[in-house]
Amino acid sequence: MTTQLHTPAVRVRDLRKTFYEEERGEIAAVDGISFDAVPGEVFGLLGANGAGKTTTLRMLSTVLRPTGGSASVMGHDVVDEGGKVRQNLGFYSASTALYPRLTARETLEFFARINGYPEDRVQARVDQLVDRFGIREYEHGRVEKLSSGMKQKVSIARTIAHDPPVLIFDEPTVGLDVMNAIEMVRVIDDLKADGKAVLYSSHIMSEVEKLCDRIGILHRGRLLALGTLDELRKKTGEHYLEEIFVKFVTEVSGSDAVVPGAFGQIDRPGS
Amino acid sequence: MIGTLLRNELRMLLRDTRTILIAVVAPLVILPAYILLMGVVDEREAERIESATYDWTIVGAEAEWGEATVREALSLAADSAPASFELTTLEGDAERREALADSLLRAGDLQVVVLARPSVPEDSLDADTPLLSLRYRSDSDLSRAARDRLSEQLRELRERTRDARFREAGLPVDRDEVAVVTAANVATAEDEGGRLLARVLLPFVVLLMLGGGSIIAADTISGEKERGTLETLLTSAAGRRDIVRAKLLAIIVVGLAVVLVNVLNLALYLTIGILDLPEGLALALDPAQLALLVLLLVPMAGLVAAALLLVSGVSKSYREYQLYSPVLFIAFLLPTLAAVLPGIELNSAVVAVPIAGLSVATSAVLSGDWQPLWGLAAFGSTGLTALFLLRRVEVVLSNERLISNAGWDEADFRGGAAQFPRHVLTWFLGFWVLFFLVSLWFGQTLGVRGQIVVNLVGVFLGGSAWLIHRYRLDPVPVLSLRTPGWTSWPAVLIGAPSFLVLGMGIAQLVNTYLFPIPQSVLESFARGLTLDLGVLQLVFFLAVLPGILEEIAFRGVLLHGLRRRLASPWAAAVACGVIFGLFHVSLFRIVPTGLLGIALAVVVIRTGSIYPAMLWHFLNNALALVPTEMGWIDPEVAVPGWGFALAAGGVVISYLLLRPGSDPSGAAKRPDRSDPAAGRA
Amino acid sequence: MNWREIGILYRHELRSALRERTIVVNGILIPIFLYPVMLWGMFTAVTFVQGLNEGFTSRVVVEGQLPALNTELRDSLATLPDLRIEDDVAEPRAAIAEGRLDAIVTFSPAQGDVGVLPGNFRVDIAYDGSETRSVNARDRVESAVDRWRSGWLEEMGDDLGLDVEDRAVFALTSENVSTARDVSEQVLGYMLSVFLIIMVAVGCFIPAVDTTAGERERSTWETLMTVGADRGSIVVAKYLYVATLGIVAGALNVIALMVSIGAVLEPLLGESGASLEVALSPMAALVMVGAASLLALTFAAAMMVFASFARSFKDGQAMVSPVMWLIFLPILLGGEGSDVNLSVNTAVVPLLNVSMMIRDAIRGVFVWEGIAITLGVSIVLVTVLLLLARRILSFEEFLTGSFDGSFWRFAKDRLLTRG
Repeated sequence: MTTQLHTPAVRVRDLRKTFYEEERGEIAAVDGISFDAVPGEVFGLLGANGAGKTTTLRMLSTVLRPTGGSASVMGHDVVDEGGKVRQNLGFYSASTALYPRLTARETLEFFARINGYPEDRVQARVDQLVDRFGIREYEHGRVEKLSSGMKQKVSIARTIAHDPPVLIFDEPTVGLDVMNAIEMVRVIDDLKADGKAVLYSSHIMSEVEKLCDRIGILHRGRLLALGTLDELRKKTGEHYLEEIFVKFVTEVSGSDAVVPGAFGQIDRPGS
Repeated sequence: MIGTLLRNELRMLLRDTRTILIAVVAPLVILPAYILLMGVVDEREAERIESATYDWTIVGAEAEWGEATVREALSLAADSAPASFELTTLEGDAERREALADSLLRAGDLQVVVLARPSVPEDSLDADTPLLSLRYRSDSDLSRAARDRLSEQLRELRERTRDARFREAGLPVDRDEVAVVTAANVATAEDEGGRLLARVLLPFVVLLMLGGGSIIAADTISGEKERGTLETLLTSAAGRRDIVRAKLLAIIVVGLAVVLVNVLNLALYLTIGILDLPEGLALALDPAQLALLVLLLVPMAGLVAAALLLVSGVSKSYREYQLYSPVLFIAFLLPTLAAVLPGIELNSAVVAVPIAGLSVATSAVLSGDWQPLWGLAAFGSTGLTALFLLRRVEVVLSNERLISNAGWDEADFRGGAAQFPRHVLTWFLGFWVLFFLVSLWFGQTLGVRGQIVVNLVGVFLGGSAWLIHRYRLDPVPVLSLRTPGWTSWPAVLIGAPSFLVLGMGIAQLVNTYLFPIPQSVLESFARGLTLDLGVLQLVFFLAVLPGILEEIAFRGVLLHGLRRRLASPWAAAVACGVIFGLFHVSLFRIVPTGLLGIALAVVVIRTGSIYPAMLWHFLNNALALVPTEMGWIDPEVAVPGWGFALAAGGVVISYLLLRPGSDPSGAAKRPDRSDPAAGRA
Repeated sequence: MNWREIGILYRHELRSALRERTIVVNGILIPIFLYPVMLWGMFTAVTFVQGLNEGFTSRVVVEGQLPALNTELRDSLATLPDLRIEDDVAEPRAAIAEGRLDAIVTFSPAQGDVGVLPGNFRVDIAYDGSETRSVNARDRVESAVDRWRSGWLEEMGDDLGLDVEDRAVFALTSENVSTARDVSEQVLGYMLSVFLIIMVAVGCFIPAVDTTAGERERSTWETLMTVGADRGSIVVAKYLYVATLGIVAGALNVIALMVSIGAVLEPLLGESGASLEVALSPMAALVMVGAASLLALTFAAAMMVFASFARSFKDGQAMVSPVMWLIFLPILLGGEGSDVNLSVNTAVVPLLNVSMMIRDAIRGVFVWEGIAITLGVSIVLVTVLLLLARRILSFEEFLTGSFDGSFWRFAKDRLLTRG
């Protein structure tokens, strides 16, 4: 564990992802971003909707294949060692749903096993999670019948079921009520204390401000700034993250309205 | 890993009580109920016809004699036949009565009208006897039954009369005691039962597997996509291959369970006697046969499951899956009927056809004609197809479109050109249907020339132009519009006639041993081809136009797409040939045209140019048509053995002579597949 | 109920259904393509089987000796083009079982009473009833012997002094007064009535599930329930939408089948001399459209009642399946005789009456009081079903889609106790 403190848990270099859309042509959703995340820190990706946060995180979770650049999780390359990467990763997002017909406990067992958690310790681990998230009273209820708050707890528990060193939370508080959102933030704090490397994406400034050790500001696929909150404050001279964000974004949009590549239609002769 | 996934799939399915209840349990009760009900309906209908009173009347010049004869005939079986005939007496003169009788027959008030008259020379009878003609309506069950009964009785009466006359004249025995024929069936009830089982077993099993597998298959990828659980699963450590295998196993398990439940259910109904086996049948299987059957079931189950999984993977939603499933059912059930066709033996090319081969193999096991090597081949062909489909599912699952809502993935867009190889087969399927429908719907109105023009110019040329436009392709590489090496020209002049002869020989062999075609069909086809056109028109419509336009479509656009899809140029050539063969609609022309298609594709690949292929195609068609059409050669003349040897030599020489041109734009060099600019202006 | 609202909602439903390109395209293309391809496959298979059967020569072994008088029978067997007499087959009985031989023909002199006739003999054929080839061989031998016997009897008749007229007694022929068109109408009448019912049902099936259970799954159900339109209007609009798609599916499939069937069946029937003639009168077409509408309206109502219970598409499918089974029931019953027309009695049975109405219309028979009763029965059925659907949706749990009990519990607890 101690050696890992010095090597980054997540390493991203010049990562790119290009999509193609019928009307708009080629779109650089992620356009050459680089960053590291080390164990015991929460790294925040801040950006508006469509800035490329989800695409970046999905590439890290090996669901999408990078178009260019490289990324690794705990030293495993996301392209070549997908399985190893996923074993070391817990991925939580609004679009990772739960199986409605399994009970809460079965869900946790399933995801612990499937992610390669040692078979003899699965039950102990699940018990531990059940206690930690207070799922005990409804552990045998089917997921489809749980309330959204309960579902969220089960969902977080399943994300860390196999005790991975790296966790990715993609807009985790979207659609949650205040109490649940606060609970989510508490959980992430706990995970950080456990020495996990946490990647956290959001467009809600206050959360990022409160939670993240380092912040990357993502805009139209590019990383405009990267640093601790203090560093960013120094750079811009603004105090609130909201203003920092706006400053960076308008700076780009003002001087360089079109980010190169973002709307380049390389493939339309005559257009 | 796979175990965990599999257990999870099955557990979720079992939780879904409503589906299980309706998809598995209910049919067990409903199916026999329907069979029983149908039996009752049939019986009632039979009884209705049996117990009906048939109204008849007599007309014609010999009406009196006729009436007496019919009455006598009917009285023969008065004790055995419950059906009763009632004579309707009509008023008026003979002509009026006949007209009235016919109109009553049409209206359904009479079931049969007996016309009794003296015979006339037009009847071309051997003897000058009176004639009874039974008028009936084949579109009425009652009328048909009345005719059958009456006819039977009259025949019986005639036989008896004849017997009596022969006896009177001094024949010492009855007429039916002369040269008596008895037929003894040496097949046991088990043999016949086995034969019946051989015919129905595979369709039955496949149907149940498809139905049973569908319960889980629909849910397993397309359902997960819809519910959003697929992304959860894909971000877990389980590899895509493991996921696919687990899902496949789950489908197989469920499918087999459904088969088993239904077989047991059927056995139960047979034992309690709700259902009956047809008379004179018995079933007996020895353990070795059973083991073989189970073994043969393995690739079948694998193929069904893989196909279901693929359809589930391709569909974006549960609903879309539902749309494709009928097509899947038909595609699977048709080949399982191979064993029903008479005379298809296990030791034939049929083993190479997935499913159909297994169908024949299972039938062979049951009828005792099992041959291990051929059985293994059938096992292999289906198994390999299953593995191939499985690979496709894996590819589908790694498709980012599943998850990313951007809709398109990389190769998908690149200016369309990169998308083209993927879509080309779909487009050609569309062309095929269009081509087929044109001949089906408008064949008669258009005439042969019209059809040729519509198909060649409209479908092939128009279709090619549309594809080139749609995908913004560069015509030069796509259509191989390059100069070939000069030796290619003599190569074509030698190759085309040689290949024509060789192809005829091969096609003949195939027709004799693999796909026998009835002589009548061949003849009627030959008649269809005989056109009342002058030789110039013939050459123009059947050689020049196809030579140019079919080449543009098949060896141009299609081959271009196939080469970018398939790694080996030979595979592309074969695929191109098979598709070309299918475009000749009639199954028995697939072999010769398919071979020609392969040869032409090889010509284009070797020379990098389409022009020699056009010339070859033109020569081929012209040589095949003109000499016979003009009466220079008798089509019945067989080619001697040395002719085939010579032709084979010609083909080899031609192959060696085919050369690409020295054009530096690289006709011989294969365009780089990864280079997106290759197909673009 | 507000017809303007219904119109808006109906158009909305149709539009979103038509937007889904894959489904629309495939829904239209599959029937158009499938029938010709299937028919082509059938045609090819039939030609193929014909070829196989023609190609089979029956292999028989002839045992025993014919009386000297009759050796020409043996010779005539040998000259049959599709029969080959095998000379050296060891253990012919085993050969039959193994499929190497098709039949053994044994001639023996007639014994006992029938032996009185000089030269009389008997023929025993051993064959394998489980092999088509073998059965064919038996038939070929039997008919050869029959032909020969008739000839012999004629000769004997001559010798005995019977003249031709005495031997013939009288001639018997049959004359079918039905035209090709009558027959086509009969076949089509049965086929199309069944086919139309199935296709309309299939056409209603997916939209019915989608527009209720599917919407709940996509959580657009609640959005719709919170709009300012009357709930009755929503139900009616959805219902009309489902029925529309059912009618369209039925019509498309029937047209696709009709267009292709004649062209493909022509060559098949060509050999038997029959031909398929189809000419629907405008009145028949009108009745068919009316029948399709009645079917669609009934199926849509029935399916929506059941689909209202479901919360997901899959669930909905399971719930609606029983309706499909019920639909097939009258088809089974409707297989009744070809000369039973719609009558006052049969017109009371739902669905069966519609199917008979279609059959009659194709055959050019219009029993107006039957049609009127059919119409009445269908309207009553639809009304009852619609009222039921409305009743179900008037309960909150169904409105919000949170009901998770079974159908039976609902029927017991709600419909019966309150009613």
